[in-house]
Amino acid sequence: MSIFGSFDINASGLTAQRYRMDVISENVANANTTRTEDGTPYRRKAVVFAEKGNGSNFSSALNKATGNYKAGGVKVIETFEDTSSDLTKVYDPSHPDADDDGYVLYPNVNIVTEMTNLIDASRSYEANATAFSASKNMALKGLEMGK
Amino acid sequence: MINTNVYDYINVLDKAADASWLRNEVIANNIANDDTPGYKRQDVAFEDQLKQAMKNSRYQSTDEKIENLTTGSLKAKTYTDSSAYSYRLDGNNVDIDTENVELASNQLKYNAVMQSVNEEFSNLKMVMR
Repeated sequence: MSIFGSFDINASGLTAQRYRMDVISENVANANTTRTEDGTPYRRKAVVFAEKGNGSNFSSALNKATGNYKAGGVKVIETFEDTSSDLTKVYDPSHPDADDDGYVLYPNVNIVTEMTNLIDASRSYEANATAFSASKNMALKGLEMGK
Repeated sequence: MINTNVYDYINVLDKAADASWLRNEVIANNIANDDTPGYKRQDVAFEDQLKQAMKNSRYQSTDEKIENLTTGSLKAKTYTDSSAYSYRLDGNNVDIDTENVELASNQLKYNAVMQSVNEEFSNLKMVMR
């Protein structure tokens, strides 16, 4: 338990959510990208969050069980390409990336899904910002002790 | 330090402030992990400990109870709150609205504790004048 511990936790939340927003922006920007570096259509990307500082090792499990839990915040452990959903097929024979049958493969980016996730990330970001100002106000109040 | 019990209340308030601070940290962590799959919310139990310590005291008046309280036993502990119903598919049971409410009420509690400490100090200043 340190003075700036909760600040660091809030900061980690802000960083993680901002990174998520960056990834979502990338998806939206590339919603119609049919050609990436390796020549294939763009695939949507997503992030995986994990708790920071609490692994599955013995000491963290013991601390958790004995009530000495060490809060560490959140981190992004992975950015993965979504290969589970299919790319969209659009008939457009004039397109340079069209196959022999005249179909073009477009990214599996769904704008509605992306916008929903973006709002979710933005709200989470705000929640972390609120928590930060609460921590800051508490720290300032603590400095007034004995005045 | 002079052998006195004028700091008895301040010592207990000190522990309460520690608990409140830890709770702020834990709630901040809950908010940060709002999107972490499988995360279970954490919380701090302090009020129950204090209540128990006051109840188990063999003294009658609050002043005597506080005077004979072993503040070392008042240590804020965290616990995993698995009881909160998880309605989410990812196994996370953090409800952001609840956390925000807890955050605000915890902040008020901390401010109240700080004010009480300040009042204790101003009482001391007054009698020393």
